[in-house]
Amino acid sequence: MEENATPQAKTSKALLNPYVAGLLLGATLLAAYLILGTGLGASGAIARLGAHLELQLAPARTLAGDYFGRWGDQPLKYYLVFMVAGVFLGGLVSAFLGRRFAVKIERGAKCARQKRLLLALSGGIMAGFAARLANGCTSGQALSGSALLLTGSLIFLICMFGGGYLTAWFVRGQWDD
Amino acid sequence: MIETFFKAGTLNSPAAFLASLLIGIAFGVALEKAGFGSSRRLAGIFYFRDMTVLKVMFTAVVFAMLGICYARAFGWVTLDNVYFLHTVYGAQIVGGLIFGAGFVMSGWCPGTGAVGLASGKIDALVFLLGAVGGSMLYNELHPILAPVFDGDRGVVFAYETFGVSEARFAFSFTVIAVLCFWGSEYLEKKRQGRGNLWGTPFLAVFSAVLIVAASGLFALEGYEERPAPRSAMPVKETMSLQAVQAVPDHMGPRDLADRMLSGAPFLKLVDIRTPEEFEQFHIRSAVNLQVEDLAQVLLPHKNKGLVMLYSNGTDRGAQARDDLFRQGFKNVSFLTGGLEGFLNVCLKPVSLRTAPVTPDAAAKINAWRAFFLVS
Repeated sequence: MEENATPQAKTSKALLNPYVAGLLLGATLLAAYLILGTGLGASGAIARLGAHLELQLAPARTLAGDYFGRWGDQPLKYYLVFMVAGVFLGGLVSAFLGRRFAVKIERGAKCARQKRLLLALSGGIMAGFAARLANGCTSGQALSGSALLLTGSLIFLICMFGGGYLTAWFVRGQWDD
Repeated sequence: MIETFFKAGTLNSPAAFLASLLIGIAFGVALEKAGFGSSRRLAGIFYFRDMTVLKVMFTAVVFAMLGICYARAFGWVTLDNVYFLHTVYGAQIVGGLIFGAGFVMSGWCPGTGAVGLASGKIDALVFLLGAVGGSMLYNELHPILAPVFDGDRGVVFAYETFGVSEARFAFSFTVIAVLCFWGSEYLEKKRQGRGNLWGTPFLAVFSAVLIVAASGLFALEGYEERPAPRSAMPVKETMSLQAVQAVPDHMGPRDLADRMLSGAPFLKLVDIRTPEEFEQFHIRSAVNLQVEDLAQVLLPHKNKGLVMLYSNGTDRGAQARDDLFRQGFKNVSFLTGGLEGFLNVCLKPVSLRTAPVTPDAAAKINAWRAFFLVS
């Protein structure tokens, strides 16, 4: 199915039952609320990386800006940056232990590499932009906000799936085998 | 009773960074073990091929929702310990639609992208680079898009929007989730016939446990509503009562500065001076309102989040706060010392101060100055 599949990938261990994985994720989210007082988040850390990069390039302009500027001159000193570092570490350990680590471009066998990477890039730009507009992504809004039954977060959740289903047909080719 | 880092205003302290790192590790393990290090699997939900995303997400949301409800009912945690995202219809509708399109195109979202990168996926790396770029793009366009946030409705709960009790909404939400689980299993069985959980004892027991747990909320809620002296049932106070009591009627400049520095959660800052004075200088993120317009303009914020008033000194803010309080606004606070006090205490450069300043205090003042005096 997938090109470049390493031998490890073929012998990868079984995944968790999705409901058990969901309970694990839910317990993590609950712990975040009870310990930190905030939900989980990911896009905030990515945006802070963007602010950090802009500060390196044009410090005065970035600090004067209305959005990145409000994060001050050390945008990476933020709890979500540490959380996403943890996500990476946890993912790395779990992928290695489950023998699922494999360097590859995941795509359908009939899809060209460039097409897949172009879609990943444009999707990334849209997701990064939209997460700032909506003040959160799948983690912060759809998952964490919905668990608090916040109207805006549930609307985000519904619109996220709506936007996905509306677009799915046009980009289905990347998964053709 | 728990005091969260958010409540203590220490979300950006080393201890909170460590806690965030550990929670992040658990988050990453859960996502990876669910199989979310794969964009093919993540995108699967949009083709009704692989419904794992729905099963994992809804299980997590329902579990955390029930956990928070019970934790609150047992008095372990109060509402003011938790940071609530605001509802801004335009931003969340448009943002959600664009985000969903980006999700299906790339096969990733920010959290799973980090796990994908950790799993060696090059497409995840490219996605994350794009997302950094997209954030920078938003930063450039923010001045144009900012009017969207005029529609900020504050903290809005869906059960308020629907006009039902919290227990009833949470219960319905749980039932919908369980129906989605069964629907997903059925779909997968029809589409691919691979080892799925349709009709298994596991799914039946799992569904029953969730529904019983959600039904329990009715019992908790009924107990809450029973009229009884508060001292007789200290742990059963309703959420909103505690939230209201947690709102201080006044706040000092240091407290306000720290709260804003840590992200200004559900804080609506209102400058009640003249428009001319406001133009000259105002505290970051403040809006300018005249006293006579306060009650009307602030109606969407009535008893939602915290409204903070300030004037030049203490008195006008205090008076306006009392007027609003009499009109039923229980969530309004005023800045003691007013803007003058704020400038003196928080923003006056260390070099101009007559009293000696400890290095810690100096660092704090510099952080405040960096935050409030930019732009």
